[in-house]
Amino acid sequence: MTATTVNTVLGPVSGAELGIVAVRETLLSVLPGAQYGYDIDIDRARVFRAIAEKLNAFRAAGGGTVVDAGGMFAGRDVPLYEAVSRATGVHIVASSGQMEEGMLGGYFLTPQTNPPTPWPTAKFAALYAAEVTEGMVVPRVERRGAAGLISTATTPDGMTATDESQLRGCARAALDTGVALALRAGNDPMAELAVAVEEQLAADRVAVSNVGESAADIAAAGAFVVFTDVHAAVAFAYDGNATRTLLATGGAALTFGHEAAPASYAGLIEAVPAELRHQLLVANPAALLAAKEA
Amino acid sequence: MTAAHIDRVNTVLGPIAPEELGFVAIHEHIGYGMPGSELDTQWWKTPEQRYEETVPKLRTFHENTLPWGGATFVDATGICNGRDIDYYQSLSAKTGVHIVASTGFVGGDTALAFFERASVDYLYRQFVHEITVGIGRTGGKAGIIKVGVSRGFKMKELDLRIYRAAARAALETGVPIFTHLAVDAEPAVEIFAEEGLPLHRVLFGHADDGVSQGKVRDRWIAEQGGRIGFDTFGYDLELPDPPFWGRPRQERLEHFLGYLRDGLTDSVLASADANCSPLGWPGVKGHTINYLFDTLFPALRDNGVDDATINRIFVELPADFLTLQPQN
Ligand SMILES: [Zn+2]
Repeated sequence: MTATTVNTVLGPVSGAELGIVAVRETLLSVLPGAQYGYDIDIDRARVFRAIAEKLNAFRAAGGGTVVDAGGMFAGRDVPLYEAVSRATGVHIVASSGQMEEGMLGGYFLTPQTNPPTPWPTAKFAALYAAEVTEGMVVPRVERRGAAGLISTATTPDGMTATDESQLRGCARAALDTGVALALRAGNDPMAELAVAVEEQLAADRVAVSNVGESAADIAAAGAFVVFTDVHAAVAFAYDGNATRTLLATGGAALTFGHEAAPASYAGLIEAVPAELRHQLLVANPAALLAAKEA
Repeated sequence: MTAAHIDRVNTVLGPIAPEELGFVAIHEHIGYGMPGSELDTQWWKTPEQRYEETVPKLRTFHENTLPWGGATFVDATGICNGRDIDYYQSLSAKTGVHIVASTGFVGGDTALAFFERASVDYLYRQFVHEITVGIGRTGGKAGIIKVGVSRGFKMKELDLRIYRAAARAALETGVPIFTHLAVDAEPAVEIFAEEGLPLHRVLFGHADDGVSQGKVRDRWIAEQGGRIGFDTFGYDLELPDPPFWGRPRQERLEHFLGYLRDGLTDSVLASADANCSPLGWPGVKGHTINYLFDTLFPALRDNGVDDATINRIFVELPADFLTLQPQN
């Protein structure tokens, strides 16, 4: 992997090939466990079509790449993403990592040891880095293409000890592999970004969402700020932060087990003023996603 | 006589008459892993390897059970723990061993976010659906409900929610309840009483394990009418690399024999809780379901336990327990 390549589900591509990027999205979003819900029917044909329609519309509007930042345990379906990328011609970058503590399985929280100590940083780091260097897992079946991003979150009420351990592991995995880190912040975005930076990950390798009032501080620290409100993003960009501003729909193509706004990737393009499009939707995502030499 | 009045036990290949069960290993696992362990390739096995580790154990189990007629393996693996119904169906069809599968959860700490957020009513509907309609798209129906105590030996709020939902589903469908751990049983007994579920429909599991001793009031549970699970036979501290829940072999045996001596045979059920092919942990080398025949039965006979008693514990009592007994 060279300094300018990005891992897509169909293999590495040059950062310059990404085009217009929807940078922090969720394609298929399944609340962990919902796949076992008796009244939840994940019809793969329907899932494929729903995602394909959105990607086709995105491509028709000039879009090039969608980044699925849902991590490895919330619906990510690598073979389906590959097929839908082939069918639509839209690059898909998929992510490793997992969301906040409440989204983790017992394997990470109450392992079969006495006492049941939650996973340490080094184990999270190794698990997620391997998804970049060896390929993303299809659970208990196989590894496929490389993850292009590590994505995590902290608990909305405040970062827990396990959130912190995992966040450090994600930062180390990002540092070791050169891919970027997406962090959905809890209630203290600056402190949470600082955790990643303490692990020696450069702030410009981190995209922070759910920043609340901390946008200016996050940008001043050198990280990217992900907005889901276009007006706020545009205002922030015009306020001298154009190179630190990213934009996401805040929704998902399809959800199971929870509600999220339906995402329109094409809508992102139309919403951004023409003069900011290249910076916010092309240059900034490419800068974030282009892997750094590890 | 309508279909609902015919005595039946749900196996993964469909309902069978209780008389067909034969010898029952009441608490076993084809393969158990904590939720999320499927993400860690260190535990992965190829399908070839999984069948290779599993089929010979089931075949030996089948051979060992021939004196009793049928062979029945109750898989106590919860919804998010790698439960794999179509795999069990293929194992059962190819080996002739009846497999009874679970709905429910080993404990609140093995229920993923979707179920952690679910109401008692949703959990109840989940269990009833899996018992009466089927699990996922497999058509296989659950024959028992698994519930349990989260790590820490104390019932948590989610554990209690699952117990209540299980009680309601058990009353309606007639399947029995299995608990993971028999510690902190007072709130469980209270919930079952509130819901009107007779305690003989509940097996309080792992009453015999090493870490529970001193914390489990098994004689008290038996006095209330609950069934006591001596279902970790074989997790002996004498093993080369015993797990943390292991116990000295003789101590467990004495604990069990105490029930038989005191005339409490009908209060116990027994099993080995072994994994044929563990999913998210190394497993315990040298421990299989066949411990029951290789080690336990010779020890019982040495202690004067007769065949009628063994028959009672491994054939008659489990057949009664597993038979669907809807309350309405
Ligand atoms: Zn068990």
